[in-house]
Amino acid sequence: MNTLKSEWLKLISVRTTWALLGAMILIEGLTAGLVTGLSDIADLKRRDVATLIIGTHLAIVFMFTLGALLSTNEFRHGTANSTFVVTPKRERVIAAKLLVGLTVGIVGALLYIAVNAGLGLSILSSRGIDVDADKAVNGYIGVGVGLVLGCLFGVALGALLRNQILTVVVGMVLFLLAGTAALFIGNDVGQYFPGESLLALQGTPGADKTLLSQTDGGFVLAAYCVVLGIAGMIFTRQREIT
Amino acid sequence: MAEITVERLTKRYGETLAVDDLSFTVDAGCVTGFLGPNGSGKSTTLRALLGLVRPTSGRALVMGRPFAELTNPVESVGAALDAHDVHPGRSGRGHLRTIAAAAGLPTSRVDEVLDMVELTPARDRRVKGYSMGMRQRLALGAALLGDPKILMLDEPANGLDPQGMRWLRDILVALAAEGRAVLISSHVLSEVEQTVDSVVVIGAGRLVMQGTLSDLVRGDRRPALVRSPRADELRELLEAAGASVAVDGRPDSMHVHNASLEQIGTLAAEHGIPIFELTHEVATLEDRFLELTGESGNVR
Repeated sequence: MNTLKSEWLKLISVRTTWALLGAMILIEGLTAGLVTGLSDIADLKRRDVATLIIGTHLAIVFMFTLGALLSTNEFRHGTANSTFVVTPKRERVIAAKLLVGLTVGIVGALLYIAVNAGLGLSILSSRGIDVDADKAVNGYIGVGVGLVLGCLFGVALGALLRNQILTVVVGMVLFLLAGTAALFIGNDVGQYFPGESLLALQGTPGADKTLLSQTDGGFVLAAYCVVLGIAGMIFTRQREIT
Repeated sequence: MAEITVERLTKRYGETLAVDDLSFTVDAGCVTGFLGPNGSGKSTTLRALLGLVRPTSGRALVMGRPFAELTNPVESVGAALDAHDVHPGRSGRGHLRTIAAAAGLPTSRVDEVLDMVELTPARDRRVKGYSMGMRQRLALGAALLGDPKILMLDEPANGLDPQGMRWLRDILVALAAEGRAVLISSHVLSEVEQTVDSVVVIGAGRLVMQGTLSDLVRGDRRPALVRSPRADELRELLEAAGASVAVDGRPDSMHVHNASLEQIGTLAAEHGIPIFELTHEVATLEDRFLELTGESGNVR
């Protein structure tokens, strides 16, 4: 519990956390507002719920980065020394970081959904467009879970790689580029990449993509987090802090 | 029992031997200086004591056991390894709160420690605005949070101004007087010579000497300085008696090796040679420290 409290304090005591959450909400609000407000009505009707969650990949960049900073800040700023002197059982620290990542991931997801639904649905409604409620709930659940897992992915990958820039670059490649690239060259493996799993999890894939089912996408993304989290704990325990 | 015990500690990073069969102990109630040039293995030894790196062989024990086996590490050991080890965007108080929370200590202890290290006026400022001296104080504050029995500080005087040095000296001496074992590393002896009761000197990862500051100078074998108006005559007599003599360009003085002050004085008296000055040249602690560690070099 002490370690958990400490990790929570670390998260909320730096401005970067609030800046990332704020930027995510701002960009999400702008995206949802502009897309639902300015797009052609026929196009909005055709795309239905997909319109609402168009900014998810941008949001996951912020949530992933937030998670990555939770782990990598320790090594970037040298606080790993005091952290592991005070808590020599290092796997506890990583576990606490994952729990804090889970919590802030949930907060981020709720904020995302609140802004998106509040703004996007009202604008669609004012333009006379009805969205299928079941699909919308389904989409929001997928997006919310995706954002939480994206944050956890960042914590776990950061614990494994330690280097902040490397972690963010690898994360961006995995979420934004690798899967798409694999799909383009006709390799079905691409659908199992984090970015494509996230798309599947949203439940509203683009028509031209081969993706997993929504549930499978969630499981694949969760599996990444579990494997990376366990690897991060093992490596952190074994590694020397120099 | 010694509070800190290093037993035949060896630490190798690939081809580089950082610490080589090092052994020493540190007792409670005194400030021990851990001295050596940059790269001599001081920080690696401290990290081994704190369980941050694993010894290749040998043992590094705190209160008789490896750090990881301490039941309450924060109340046993307080450590400050680098004053830069803090998130620059966090306030000084925020930084200490994260450590206190992990240790299960109340926020009131954070405020006490901030008072102790005289950082209360700056406690809510972000650390990136702190001077080096303030960062050193913050690092010491972090080490003191758990009111530990042992303090390990890596280069705590680095970057301190004269007032800061005096403050550090006073607080460390006071902490040791309360019965704590205080181990402070430095590569500059003059930074700590007025603070420490004893020293552990290392060079190239190996122990050079352990003892008091007097022991550090006592091992010195400097020549005798002799001044006489008949220096040439006395020089011949000394060399005939087996001493080696070096001149420094002044006609009335010489530096004599392999002869005691008594032998030189007696020889001069026997031949009626007046002596104006007969003394052992005095080595400063710094001279002695450099002599002891200089040969070891600092890059391996």
